[in-house]
Amino acid sequence: MFGGGMIIGIIAILHVFVSHFAVGGGLFLPWTERKAYRESNPALLEYVKSHSKFFVLVVLVSGAVSGVGIWWSIGLVNPEATATLIHVFVWGWAIEWVFFIVEIAAAFVYYYGWDRLDAKTHLTVGWIYFGAAWASLFVINGILTFMLTPGRWLETRSFASAFFNPGMLPSCVLRTAVAVALAGVYALLTAAAIRDVALRADVVRYAARWLLAGTMVIPPAGVWYISTLPAAARELSMGAAPVVTLFAGLSIFFSALLVVFTYFGPYQHPRYFNLTFAFLLAALALSTTAVTEWVREAVRKPYVIYNYMYANTLRLEDINRIRQQGILASARFVRHHDVDPQAPEESGHEVFRVQCASCHTLDGYNSIRFAVKGWSREMIDYQLLHLNELKGFMPPFVGTPVERQALAVWLLRLNPRPVMQEPPAPGVKAQAQTQNSPGPGEPKP
Amino acid sequence: MTPVIPAPVPVPLPAPVWLLQLLLVFTFILHLLPMNFLVGGGVILTVSCFLGRRDPHHRDFSQRACRTLPAVVAFTITLGVAPLLFLQLLYGQLFYTSSVLMAWYWLAVVFLIMLGYYGVYWFTLQQEELGQRASWVLLVTASIFILVAFFFSRNMSFMLHPQDFYSQFFQGEVGTILGPVTSTGVARLMHFLVGSLAVGGLGAALLSHAWRREAPELAAWTRRYGIRWFTVGTGIQMLVGLWFLFSLPQEIRGMFLGGDRLSSAILAVAIALAVLALAAAPKSLAASSVAILGALSLMAVIRHLLRVAYLRPYFDPRSVPVQSQWLVFALFVILLLGGLSTVGWMLYQFFRPAASRAPSV
Repeated sequence: MFGGGMIIGIIAILHVFVSHFAVGGGLFLPWTERKAYRESNPALLEYVKSHSKFFVLVVLVSGAVSGVGIWWSIGLVNPEATATLIHVFVWGWAIEWVFFIVEIAAAFVYYYGWDRLDAKTHLTVGWIYFGAAWASLFVINGILTFMLTPGRWLETRSFASAFFNPGMLPSCVLRTAVAVALAGVYALLTAAAIRDVALRADVVRYAARWLLAGTMVIPPAGVWYISTLPAAARELSMGAAPVVTLFAGLSIFFSALLVVFTYFGPYQHPRYFNLTFAFLLAALALSTTAVTEWVREAVRKPYVIYNYMYANTLRLEDINRIRQQGILASARFVRHHDVDPQAPEESGHEVFRVQCASCHTLDGYNSIRFAVKGWSREMIDYQLLHLNELKGFMPPFVGTPVERQALAVWLLRLNPRPVMQEPPAPGVKAQAQTQNSPGPGEPKP
Repeated sequence: MTPVIPAPVPVPLPAPVWLLQLLLVFTFILHLLPMNFLVGGGVILTVSCFLGRRDPHHRDFSQRACRTLPAVVAFTITLGVAPLLFLQLLYGQLFYTSSVLMAWYWLAVVFLIMLGYYGVYWFTLQQEELGQRASWVLLVTASIFILVAFFFSRNMSFMLHPQDFYSQFFQGEVGTILGPVTSTGVARLMHFLVGSLAVGGLGAALLSHAWRREAPELAAWTRRYGIRWFTVGTGIQMLVGLWFLFSLPQEIRGMFLGGDRLSSAILAVAIALAVLALAAAPKSLAASSVAILGALSLMAVIRHLLRVAYLRPYFDPRSVPVQSQWLVFALFVILLLGGLSTVGWMLYQFFRPAASRAPSV
């Protein structure tokens, strides 16, 4: 029912939405705390205290666990790619783990330390939290961008080439800006709940400023980031794949709406701002995050690690070998390592499972049954033969001609065709039937 | 039949195998402590929470001790990341296969942890508002973490049996296969759960030390109560440990019973340390803690030796090419030392007596 991509997507979007808040909110807290001390504003300080509780409950639980969850899901959906990333970046991840420990410890000391630490020490702990959270983003960002822009690693295979890849720096700026904007979004949620009308107006306007400041940096950083993408990936979002282009457009549209609503709402008229409006902005921000991350994942197709490994975990360097040996002969968890001429559809199903099932489900997300509905066997075979040329976001079919034909047989059987019948003779009860009869030119079962 | 194991990825290991194994075991020990406090402590607190409806000692103990739970959950998760990272690096093709076979349960772990974590916060922050229902919240929360332990135990056992992968793959529906149920698997889970109760008890006794000034009577009661859990738990653990040992395949069991001198010596010292901890507990908690820390660390080493022994016929990570990334490793070590010092400084600031703190700005 659920494709692997959908599972990763659900967890990843939740994580991105929370983890960027973990960074931006980590800046918002000590910054605002310092502002409260400088302005000798105890009411603002009280707000920061209550916001820190909300922060801890959201970030420490959902943020930390969903981060681990992404790791969990990519390991299940694409173990080969995950193992490759871990082999290349294990020390990067180990370094990120150190920042993660500091981040979690600092969050606890900050939250539980309001009444135990003096202001200066408390503020220092806040800055330590932010430093560790941003450093964590910096490291993970390098690993994430590697997948789309592995750059010189493809030749050098060195850690430095992999980490300092072309997309790393612009993506880091972009994500930092998103983190600042999301700090504003979440702060608007807690600000809307402040009872003191004057304080609420002040904090609402202040939080809106964070949101607007972050979103101002996003367009130039976004353009910079897009300029580093491989040409084919850029084209996917600019017309080559209509759905991806539509989502890319939605990302811009939602972002623009967010800016407009924030400017004319909480920024210009903070006194009229309420919790419903805050949730609306948060929903808009979540939608923006969702479509943007979806586009970022989609433009990487047909690869999972660009120019190194396809989305179905086949490495480019193995393609020629597998074409000669056969995909079934190269796979481990199959019943037969070659096509059974007596039951080609069974072998075809195994070919599908090994090569296509990491993206397609049978009837659920990205349904293969739906994708090939109405196609003749010749059409299916032609599509398989030119898969990567006809659909730029798909890898080529890799296997022997016999395996391809077996897959075509299985795909054809997914949508049995109704058989045209002679009109029933008078007196004979008409029976509508649908049968799994083979199409023209197919072997009989 | 030849076992079916996916090939390791063709990217060299970024450090020698001995170093990665050392880090795997060391970081697992770091994870083991809060994990034991969480699982064992969760059960102990649940029992006290129910008994606290009639007994004020149990009530006061559960109300106070539960404040530590959010941090314990956080550090169980955080410190669990590193051993899982090194496990995936060294034994990825085995771990991923067993994980995929039990994918839905394995994925459920993430959501269960999130649910359990919110359960801990719910109980801790709203204990008074919840009233009698608080016990049930804690019961469900503790059960969730035991369920997580069960799935972990299944996966860590299943990955050691690659000879079962292929048949299991075709027998069940992929994603719902928990692997064959064996007495070794049950003993392994019980060994962990009973051990957690003992360590959780010791944790409660240690925690009482922090209350000895503000609540001396409760601290003394908690100390006795914690030691009782520790003593009974460790006693049962010895029996469960024997069961686990004798449920192991003969050739592996033999390693720890004289077949391999180092393995046998490690097991003997670990048992001796556990006995020492048991004997020292009523008199010196510090001595008992040091001894049990030693026993736990050696048990983690034994766990690793078991893994190596189980997998010996099928896979040895030393067969994978190595291309060390020493510069980045050095950076990791420097940052680790810096990070731990920073955490130490923050904890010092947090726990030092109020009188020695600077006046508020």
